[in-house]
Amino acid sequence: MTGPARFAFEGITGGYGAMMVVRGLSAEVGEGRCLCVLGRNGVGKSTLMNVLSGHLGAAEGSILLNGRNLVPLSPDARRRQGMSYAMQERPVFDHLSVFDNLMLMRASAGIGLYRSYFDRFPILENRLDQKAGTLSGGERKILSFTRALAEEGDITLLDEPSEGVQSENISHMETIITEAKSRGRSFVVVEQHLHLAEAIADHYLIIDQGKCVLQCAAADTDRQDLLAHLEV
Amino acid sequence: MDPVLIANGLNISFEIVTLALVAMGLAVTLGLLGVLNLAHGEFVMIGAFCAFFVQEQGLSYLWAFPLVVIVCIVIGWPVERTIIRALYSRPFDTILATWGLSLLLREIVEFFFGPGFNSVDQPVSGTVNIFGADYPLYQLLVMLIAVVLIGALVAWYVKSSTGRRIQALVDNPDLAKSVGIPTIALARNTFIFGLCLAGIAGVLLAPIVAVYPGMGIDHVLKSFFVLVVGGLGNVVGLVVGSGVIGGAESIVAAILDRTAGYTFVLIVALLFLWKKPGGLVSR
Amino acid sequence: MAWLAANLAFITAILVVLPQIVGDFWAFTLALFLLYAVACLGLGLSWGQAGLLSLGQGFFLGFSAYTSGLILIGFSTSAWLFPLLGLSVVAPGLIAYLFGCMIFHGRTQNTAFFAIITLALILLAAQIATAWESVTGGYNGLRNIPGLPGFSELEDAYTLSAVALGLSMMFAAWIMQTPLGVLWRALSQDERRVAFLGFNHNQLKSVAFGLSGLFGGIAGTLYAPQNSLVTPDLFGFLLSTSFVVWVAIGGRNTLYGPVLGAIGIGLATNTLRESVSFWEVILAVIFIVAVLYFRKGLTGTAEPAVKRWFERNDRVRKPAPARHSAMTFDRIAIENLNLSVGNVGILEDLDLNIGSPGIYCLIGPNGAGKTTIFNAMTGELEAQSGTVSMLGTRGIKMDARTQTIAGLGRKFQVPSVFDQLTVGENLAIALWSGRSSRRDLLRLSLLDWESPVLTELERRFPFLTDRRQMVGSLSHGQRQVLDLAMVLCTEPRLILLDEPCAGLSLAETNEVISTVRWAVDRFQATAMIIEHDMAMVRELADHVFVVHNGSMLFEGSVAEVQSNAAVQAVYTGGTK
Repeated sequence: MTGPARFAFEGITGGYGAMMVVRGLSAEVGEGRCLCVLGRNGVGKSTLMNVLSGHLGAAEGSILLNGRNLVPLSPDARRRQGMSYAMQERPVFDHLSVFDNLMLMRASAGIGLYRSYFDRFPILENRLDQKAGTLSGGERKILSFTRALAEEGDITLLDEPSEGVQSENISHMETIITEAKSRGRSFVVVEQHLHLAEAIADHYLIIDQGKCVLQCAAADTDRQDLLAHLEV
Repeated sequence: MDPVLIANGLNISFEIVTLALVAMGLAVTLGLLGVLNLAHGEFVMIGAFCAFFVQEQGLSYLWAFPLVVIVCIVIGWPVERTIIRALYSRPFDTILATWGLSLLLREIVEFFFGPGFNSVDQPVSGTVNIFGADYPLYQLLVMLIAVVLIGALVAWYVKSSTGRRIQALVDNPDLAKSVGIPTIALARNTFIFGLCLAGIAGVLLAPIVAVYPGMGIDHVLKSFFVLVVGGLGNVVGLVVGSGVIGGAESIVAAILDRTAGYTFVLIVALLFLWKKPGGLVSR
Repeated sequence: MAWLAANLAFITAILVVLPQIVGDFWAFTLALFLLYAVACLGLGLSWGQAGLLSLGQGFFLGFSAYTSGLILIGFSTSAWLFPLLGLSVVAPGLIAYLFGCMIFHGRTQNTAFFAIITLALILLAAQIATAWESVTGGYNGLRNIPGLPGFSELEDAYTLSAVALGLSMMFAAWIMQTPLGVLWRALSQDERRVAFLGFNHNQLKSVAFGLSGLFGGIAGTLYAPQNSLVTPDLFGFLLSTSFVVWVAIGGRNTLYGPVLGAIGIGLATNTLRESVSFWEVILAVIFIVAVLYFRKGLTGTAEPAVKRWFERNDRVRKPAPARHSAMTFDRIAIENLNLSVGNVGILEDLDLNIGSPGIYCLIGPNGAGKTTIFNAMTGELEAQSGTVSMLGTRGIKMDARTQTIAGLGRKFQVPSVFDQLTVGENLAIALWSGRSSRRDLLRLSLLDWESPVLTELERRFPFLTDRRQMVGSLSHGQRQVLDLAMVLCTEPRLILLDEPCAGLSLAETNEVISTVRWAVDRFQATAMIIEHDMAMVRELADHVFVVHNGSMLFEGSVAEVQSNAAVQAVYTGGTK
């Protein structure tokens, strides 16, 4: 990797109140690269994403996007700096229609900009007028994924994008992410689904008890290494 | 039809419509932002005093509308910054602080205008004959304006992109931030907008009621009852709540007396708080 | 105790002698504010102690001022005069208590709504007092009320007020010290936790509100003869608002705060209102600033919220009695449980059976519904269908309090301890659970209770012996441990723990593991533990339940879970 990384965080420590859930996590993501964060549940993956996206304050550490420190910025300011985020729980506006979920911040544009996504996820186009809260869990994840990817952020944070999603749609997600990477978009993805993780990851960050236990390039890692840290 | 019946019907509708008008501002701050603003009634009072002030200066009544908007922004901005924003996470202290604010606003107004009763002339006089009943033109006008205002507000909330962003903010504040909505500014503007609505209601009511510093307290209570009965965050709830509270009060007051009407409203509100705190129309 | 009595006697003496120094006019004004101070003391109890803000404290003062006035006018020569006046003192207390029972036992648990209801109450009272002319004298009020026989001189009335305030303060100081006072302060911080420790929180609140009404009754009954005039202004929201302002600025949590606020600020307002024309504006600003930044008020920083006035130097710990109901083991059977919140299904046809005591761990991915199972068991969430049988019931719904008395101990994921109480008070509350009668809650000796379980816990976690330490100053790990210790002090037969070791250090985790094991053996209890940390599950679990998508995916020993392909697939994402 040459020059400063597109996105980097260093020494991230954070949690809820006095309870620190993640301690001293660091990683770099280059342009067009994808970092997959793995670990058993309850080890602090979502907490890390909440700190990176600005919903939780970082007690310590720095977050850099294109060389700019994001730590003092609110989540909406981070969006304007080029960060996109699809959260794990409550990923969509339940009381808004699918259309409004997609067009909320794009009042001037047409729905046509989602054409390529609708080709892969026709359910979205078929349900534009439906309230997002009436979608199934997996469909909501697809909606959230589509909204986040279409923002074309320099860095996109995806927290368990495949949770509850049918396998054919998971492979669509895989293709879309790979295409976005080729356009220079970078990703940090928390994923339980090993197939998807292996397909998109360039690097792994594996955490346990809030700390980094393994950081490695995807090319140097085989499935057994990962399983050793994930199986209960 | 019997003109007396029609006059009564008009009076009752007037009560209901003006109650909805007054409660609308509180519906915005409490229903959308979750801020129980006990100083809501004082902004109605300030609106009424704007109308009075304009009249004192010999200006047209219409000047009261821009004036009240300016006053509400000038007061609302620092209030949101210092009191409301600091207390989003401490709702219990919000009612205390806004109660203190209501005290402060009353005392300031009293300092300038004195504690006594004032009256504002009706900008349009005369009556119209509706199915044989003579009804004051101004009251009719207020009803019309109120209905149009509520309708316009609802249409704006549903149709405009700002309205949808407010809905998004109410629905899922964390996600709203993450998709890039500047939630702090949006909440502030929404709060100030709620205050302006209260102020405008005050301007419209000023020619019909006694204008004095303590007039707000009744308004905040009844607005609150409307929302308790109707439910939060839904315009249907606002209308239903106003119908129940305003209708019940004016009917009981017409049959018995004012105290009975008031007692009845209180009992209705208590029953709702007790058995159905979500209100009639839940989101 | 003696020190406090001397203290209050001294204050009372000063108050009694004061008119000789300041003159009659001042004494008359002061007498009024002494009565207001009594009413404010009541507000201090309900608001400062139990967390119930009343915007209508004037209601009780006004109510008994009217009844007292009517009694004095109608029965001034009757032998029944004093018993009747006694009634006028007690009646507002009773009304407040019943009103509290009605409001708190309803569905509204919102203290903000409570404040508004009290506001509505005085506005209604003002309407009635003005409209019901034949009895209340309408707008002009009751006039020419005779003084109390034997206390007709101005000085007598003043002395009476001073003594009433002294006695009221004495009573307030005592009640703040009792276990009842401790429980009030606890529930003003975390009501749910008080219920989960087996106390009737609604009743406790009603009692607090009732006492605030009683104090209003004392003030009002003396108000009528002292002023010989009672008007609807007593029901005005201005007076009740003043009470709130005085108590907030004086300090709502302390004994002296409300008194100081009422007399100091009340008198200052009375004097300055004329000369400083915007005094009221300044006062309103001070109030807002106090709410935002100085929530403890003037006395709050100078004086600890509750001084140990009644503490004996020769403190002897006394053994706590046994729990009222000693439960034996009972099987737990959850059948076909379906639970959804809104349109999101969380539990689907969940079955879970436990047939013998021991430690059972619940594991599963995020959102699997583990905490929801606990919530369904303890009635926090209502299941749409299915039955839960445990603690001697078969699918009968019990509330948290009844379940705790029957032997439930639940620890929430986030430590739910009472930050503004001491370690000793936190543990004492847990010891009182299921062991104290209602009358016991007025006995100071309950603060000295100990039990063998507590002694053992103190041995394992020495920081628990520093009983005067404020819980708010403990570390996160210590608060988790204290929370667990409180659960174990209730000697439960069914222990529900939600990630008890979250955020603990390794040493703390090990001690917690061994303590849970010890407690389960000692109480012959069943422990159900939600845990993510597999190292801990291996240490603890006799049996493991794996929950996935709201259903039971697998159950078995730790070894069986680790060798099960379906379980491993869930954890590595092969959901299909």
